[in-house]
Amino acid sequence: MSAATLEESAQAGHDTPRRTRPALITWAGYGMVLLVLALFAIGSPHFLQWSNLASVLNQAAVFAVAGIGLAIVIITGGDDVLKGGIDLSLGAVAGLAGTVTAVAVGAGAGVPVAVLGGLVVAVAIGAANGAAVVLGLRPLLATLATMGIATSLELVVSENLKVALEGSLFLWLRQGTVLGLPAAVVLLLLVAAAAWWALGRTAWGVNSYAVGQNATAASVAGLDPARYRFFSYVISSLLGGIAGVLLASRLSAAVPGIGAQILLDIILVAYMSTVFSRRLVVNIPGTVVAAVFVAGLANGLTLLGVASQWIGAAKGVLILLVLAVVVVRGRSAAK
Amino acid sequence: MTLTQQQPVRNPRKAPGSQPQTNDGAAARASHVLPRLIAPVALAGILLTFSLLSPNFLVPGNLLSVLSQMAILALVAVGLTVVVRAGGIDLSIGVALDLAALGAAALIADGYRAWVAIAVGLLFGLLVGAVNAALIVGLKIPPFLATLSVWFIGTSVQQLLTGGGAPIYLSTPRVPIEFALLGRGYVLDLDGVVLTAAIVAVVVAVLLGLTRWGRAVTVAGEQPTAARISGLRVNRLSVSAYLLCSLVAAFAGVILAARTNGFVPGSGQAYLMDAIGAVFIGATLSRFGRVSVPGTLVGVLIFGLLSNGMNLIGLSFFWQGLGRGIVLLAILLLGVLLARNSGRPGPFGRLFTLTAAPRQKAD
Repeated sequence: MSAATLEESAQAGHDTPRRTRPALITWAGYGMVLLVLALFAIGSPHFLQWSNLASVLNQAAVFAVAGIGLAIVIITGGDDVLKGGIDLSLGAVAGLAGTVTAVAVGAGAGVPVAVLGGLVVAVAIGAANGAAVVLGLRPLLATLATMGIATSLELVVSENLKVALEGSLFLWLRQGTVLGLPAAVVLLLLVAAAAWWALGRTAWGVNSYAVGQNATAASVAGLDPARYRFFSYVISSLLGGIAGVLLASRLSAAVPGIGAQILLDIILVAYMSTVFSRRLVVNIPGTVVAAVFVAGLANGLTLLGVASQWIGAAKGVLILLVLAVVVVRGRSAAK
Repeated sequence: MTLTQQQPVRNPRKAPGSQPQTNDGAAARASHVLPRLIAPVALAGILLTFSLLSPNFLVPGNLLSVLSQMAILALVAVGLTVVVRAGGIDLSIGVALDLAALGAAALIADGYRAWVAIAVGLLFGLLVGAVNAALIVGLKIPPFLATLSVWFIGTSVQQLLTGGGAPIYLSTPRVPIEFALLGRGYVLDLDGVVLTAAIVAVVVAVLLGLTRWGRAVTVAGEQPTAARISGLRVNRLSVSAYLLCSLVAAFAGVILAARTNGFVPGSGQAYLMDAIGAVFIGATLSRFGRVSVPGTLVGVLIFGLLSNGMNLIGLSFFWQGLGRGIVLLAILLLGVLLARNSGRPGPFGRLFTLTAAPRQKAD
């Protein structure tokens, strides 16, 4: 995957006419998304109503915020799944952060303290991930182990009971609006804009891409890959924690075991972002579009009256389609 | 995985130090042996700790019951070992198990003979393996993502086939005796399932360790380019690995159906995490950081004894995941750290670490 990407960008650098061809195919990704959403709009009159769209965006916010975290890990670790960056603990961290927040509020702590507590726990697990990866453990195995730990901690804290979450901040996150946009969506836009700016416009972001694409070259050029990798896991877990608080406020409760359910969606969203990239790399705007698409897909299929059992299958087929597109494009670029 | 993949070097400032340096023989040998001792030491530690904490732990009856509790996990992990040895990973292994259990239980419920139900169950599982192989070998989709999506689809398929996830329960009088024996038979005083799992493990171990096919799969997994150049049919080998893996998982599923007298959707995926952990704990036993069936069984034994011991001392279920996660993390981290201190990442470098520097010596 990455070699094809390098080659493509090298070609693009040498002869400019080549740029136009991949650019056209890039739009195919957006075209697919628009096509599917248009089908839903035609199939159900309720799909395009503002209240429905707002709820789609609200759902997308959770996946997108956590997906941005995973995207940063993949960007910095390389996109080979077995050896490169992956954070399997992200879903469990989101669940744990939401639970810690809810339990803290229930125990009488102030809302800022509770949210801070949840995020600190998330960051601590992220630091453990980062440390294990920097010490040389494969990310897949390290985050698998911390996923078990985070899931178990969530059970310990919540005693496997749903913990209600009440407070003005959480109510605002659930129902509040800023300039007509739901609060969660505004938060998502802020996070996405910050991540996009940091990855595309700062030295840290460019170096992160460099470390992920070719760690040897990056370290020869004087970067320390370990430092970038460590902080990518910390940032990812922090964003996972924020997503967890968002999710808990949307459900107005911390539900135990929800982490395992959202993990697959987070992975799907982050990897799907490659379709929206000319160079087939994981990126932030693509992650947000993918999150909206996945949320819209579930919502649209439900509105069309498709049984909920099919939605999982639809998502699975979707990942395969996306990957097939990436593989085929990678092949044609390599020729 | 991919041939063109640029191997990332984690920290090249360390890499020069990893070359010859001054390795006095004894220290070098110690650092080679030490990482391999972690899993046995952990096993001994667990045995010792729980036998001190609970008087009921180190008695034959309890240890035998640990074996029968472990049997299904052992089968799943043995199947996974084959795929990991072939250089892949299979996250959908629980789906193969579930679909096999579903097929077998549904047919028994419909009154078919035992062998028909077992054969159809195994075929259902093989189907999952065939889909995986087609995606990974045919479409060249990375194994992690391909099997992840099969996991999605398989979960959905289970719900569709069971009308939204309703469990199937078999009434004991209607279950053919052969089918019941598969899950609950006893040979002398030994649980039949333990014996079956042991036979399967031995067969797979012989296949992987002693046959030409096993050597070819190992080479194809570790050095795909070299394997292809030397004329091995790498694609065919990968396909056979995924099929064998799903077949073993399917067998585990049929046994689970016979043992629990029914089918509960989504019961297979619970084995995935422990199976992956056991396989990679097993890899620390090998000089080459290579996964193997005996190593995997040690890993399974560690998890089995740990769960059993934690239950015996009355530790809440909520804390048990924490215990398992910490033991897994500690064993794997120690393996990496001890191997790193030897100066050259060597065997473990290949399996666990991101370092790719001194590869020529490891093989």
